[in-house]
Amino acid sequence: MGIIELALAKVLSSAAVLLFATVLLMATARRISTCAYLFACQSAILTAEVVAVGYFQHIPGAYVIAGVVLLAKVVGIPFALLWLMKKLHTPHDVGASLSPGYSIFVMSGLVVLSFAVVRLYLQELRAAEVILAAAVALILSGAFLMVTRSKALMLMIGLLVLENGIFLAALVTTFGMPLIIEIGIVFDLLIGLLLMGIFVFRIRSTFDHLDVSRLRRLRG
Amino acid sequence: MNLLANVIQVLILVLAAPLLRGFIARLKAIIQRRRGASIWRPYADLWKLFHKEDLVPKTATAVFRGAPAIGFAVTLVATAFLPLLHSNALVQLDGDIFLFVYLLVIVRFVMSLAALDGGSAFGGMGSSREALVATLAEAPLFLVLTAVAILAKTSSLSQMAQWTTTQNFFDISTVHILAFAALVIVAIAETGRIPVDNPTTHLELTMIHEAMVLEYSGPSLALIEWSQAIKLHVMGALMVALFAPWGMSAVDTAGGLLVALGVYALKLLGLAIGLSIVESSVAKLRMYVVPDFLRVASALAILAVIFTAITKR
Repeated sequence: MGIIELALAKVLSSAAVLLFATVLLMATARRISTCAYLFACQSAILTAEVVAVGYFQHIPGAYVIAGVVLLAKVVGIPFALLWLMKKLHTPHDVGASLSPGYSIFVMSGLVVLSFAVVRLYLQELRAAEVILAAAVALILSGAFLMVTRSKALMLMIGLLVLENGIFLAALVTTFGMPLIIEIGIVFDLLIGLLLMGIFVFRIRSTFDHLDVSRLRRLRG
Repeated sequence: MNLLANVIQVLILVLAAPLLRGFIARLKAIIQRRRGASIWRPYADLWKLFHKEDLVPKTATAVFRGAPAIGFAVTLVATAFLPLLHSNALVQLDGDIFLFVYLLVIVRFVMSLAALDGGSAFGGMGSSREALVATLAEAPLFLVLTAVAILAKTSSLSQMAQWTTTQNFFDISTVHILAFAALVIVAIAETGRIPVDNPTTHLELTMIHEAMVLEYSGPSLALIEWSQAIKLHVMGALMVALFAPWGMSAVDTAGGLLVALGVYALKLLGLAIGLSIVESSVAKLRMYVVPDFLRVASALAILAVIFTAITKR
């Protein structure tokens, strides 16, 4: 039993660091598939965090949530994204309007900013500073990815990262939302992904590319 | 015993450097399904070069002739600051991290000058590229060392290693991860390995270091090759000393030092395997993407320094 507790405590203390790492790597990634794999890693870290929180707070429902997150975000969504890429025969490039070198500078700025933001509210919340900052950093970086990457698939990944951030913030501030709400959110996400997938197919068939920055003219 | 161990450390860094190079070449060959040359090949190469005639271009001056020896000597001095088998180095100064960085820069400076002095077009091209990489790699290396120095509250390499050995291995700190990632990128750029420069070819227009030394031959080339090998070993030893010094001998007995040597060899083996996998699976970057690659290292290093203030441990 001792080793499980040790491992879970390690998860709690180092999850934030690893999340920062995934976010920074996403800023430097040049291929959409790399971003999909990084998203899977990020979700795996989130799953471990959920399990750890559930274990230490004695919330049995947390394991169910962890299972759902594992199935949907670590396995399901990344596979769906990779399958979509294969089906669409789209170029692998993320379509960055800001080069990776500059992106990582902005991303580091966002990480520091999230620490500054979190510090204001730290007195009222019981959560640890680092993990809350990681949640805010995920939200900001998701928005950043959506703004600076012009491929439709990257917008989807940006939104998913943003959602991961909101999920993590909810987890660490409330110590577990009601089970039904969590499952509802994940379900929402899957439906949203489905809709976006259909949209991407439509964009592809009408415009012959997936570059959102080039969607200027109306086409019937 | 202490002094003896320190001298042995420097000797290992200098004499085992070609072996490390040969070992990496062999590992790469195995990964690429070739048989590859013997791991002792770099020694044979050095031996051959030392027995050849030194050809010097007509236009070259003393700068060209003296540069290999100066570069080799300065690299030797840099090795004296690294702890290897125990957390002591031959020379320990307060603030020797700064000296260490600038000793490495001096080598590049001298070699760039010599390449310009050689008079060939390739030399000038190589030295301008080397200067670009050197300026961009220097700041992150400096910041990485500073970040760890702030944590350890000391600016001497051996005392930083000493501090790290007293820490818990499983206590991952954000600063260490960021700094290590930045140092890996910097080390690749500093030693001219594959994503930045290709060390095995003289035939590419995109070469950096090899373009600089194209005019050299005989013993001079041997000295340059050897100091390049030592530099690779020094960067490896720096990573081990700063981020994984556990296993260094606490007492200066022969047995303890032998065990420490074995542990060090294992860690270096891990680094070599990682490097050869990266070199076999990643394509060389275009010259214009190299600054972008190093910019990533700078951002990581700056973040590491900022995090020493944010996360008070």
